[in-house]
Amino acid sequence: MAYHSGYGAHGSKHRTRAAPDPPPLFDDTSGGYSIQPGGYPAPGADVAFNVNHLLGDPVANVAMAYGSSIASHGKDIVHKELHRFVSVNKLKYFFAVDTAYVAKKLGLLVFPYTHQNWEVQYSRDVPLPPRQDLNAPDLYIPTMAFITYVLLAGMALGIQKRFSPEVLGLCASTALVWVVLEVLALLLGVYLATVRSNLSTFHLLAYSGYKYVGMILSVLTGLLFGSDGYYVALAWTSSALMYFIARSLRTAALGPDSMGAPAPRQRLQLYLTLGAAAFQPLIIYWLTFHLVR
Amino acid sequence: MNETDLAGPILFCVALGATLLLVKDSSIRFKRVSFPMWFLQSALETQNAAGKVQFGYIYGMSAIGCIGIYALLNLMSSSGVSYGCVASVLGYCLLPMVILSGSAVFFSLQGTIGTVLALVIIVWCSLSASKIFISALDMEGQQLLVAYPCALLYGLFALLTVF
Repeated sequence: MAYHSGYGAHGSKHRTRAAPDPPPLFDDTSGGYSIQPGGYPAPGADVAFNVNHLLGDPVANVAMAYGSSIASHGKDIVHKELHRFVSVNKLKYFFAVDTAYVAKKLGLLVFPYTHQNWEVQYSRDVPLPPRQDLNAPDLYIPTMAFITYVLLAGMALGIQKRFSPEVLGLCASTALVWVVLEVLALLLGVYLATVRSNLSTFHLLAYSGYKYVGMILSVLTGLLFGSDGYYVALAWTSSALMYFIARSLRTAALGPDSMGAPAPRQRLQLYLTLGAAAFQPLIIYWLTFHLVR
Repeated sequence: MNETDLAGPILFCVALGATLLLVKDSSIRFKRVSFPMWFLQSALETQNAAGKVQFGYIYGMSAIGCIGIYALLNLMSSSGVSYGCVASVLGYCLLPMVILSGSAVFFSLQGTIGTVLALVIIVWCSLSASKIFISALDMEGQQLLVAYPCALLYGLFALLTVF
């Protein structure tokens, strides 16, 4: 991946020493390394922060080089393990967004009633990235909305003098657990309703993450305008989100060749989307009402 | 942009910590103590800051924030970015926050003017950080998208400064 090459190309002294191959454990001056017992390169030529100057001790120098080689080795292991579970290229599709898309999508989440065409567009059986298609799901908005929700919950608790880091952690992990449960339920529903579907786990994660935008709006309105404002905002965002989810999932579950599925399967799909849509206001209320007491 | 230079960011973090020590210590500013005693006392006071947010949480959260921005930039840009580059850019753009905490020595930030100043400084920091990122990584039309998570991160620093 690109960041490996970027790592090796840096100009810091101690990194270029460690990058080629692991240094020997012993101070081997015959090996062509520039580790010398007494002298170091002229300080004037090196304006970057060089830890070796501070230590001034060849053994510590070798230890530092060894440590950084261990660190890079560990980093490689982490990358390999991560790539086994998460396909980064598929994930990159969901983050190919730009500011215009995000602005329009946020507007759509708050007011979806005038939008006409809900179909995801394809180009030769490959779905278009979110930059070029407003209907494509993305993961930038759900991620940012989740983080903002956690910070906003911390702020709301702080304003009510109920803040402590444990409560914040509890809030964050509760929200995360509900997201995971909902994605699993949706996956099960999709598996039961259709055999072949275009909805991968990340799609479902995106759709279930859009509710955090509604939650943030409700909490903000509740903080600014009190309990009545909270309930009004809750009702508005819940209905908008239900409409959005119902319309999006109905067209997204079909593929690029949207032939009519057999009738019972279509009915199952309909029940699935309606169930997912109806679940949203419940979860929004559950996760926010304790913040706007 | 290929050189990871952490000298500036570390200097700014030290300056931020020093000005924060001055701020937290303003309650005993007018007592007559000798300079070494004052430094030690303020260091101990911040250690025993019961009821205030612990510094350890803030450092941990900023490290996690740096990792989060590193992950986000790698996913959003076509070319990857290294962690050192992210840390160095974020650290350099922390400089206006030092101005904020320096001004906290002279007047309390808890009023309206303090909130407005903190918001202006957060916007300034995050816009400059996002500008550097998108010009270095050649990302088009994504400046506000990169600025938002940076603003969240600098908001955490501002919270530390104001409260």
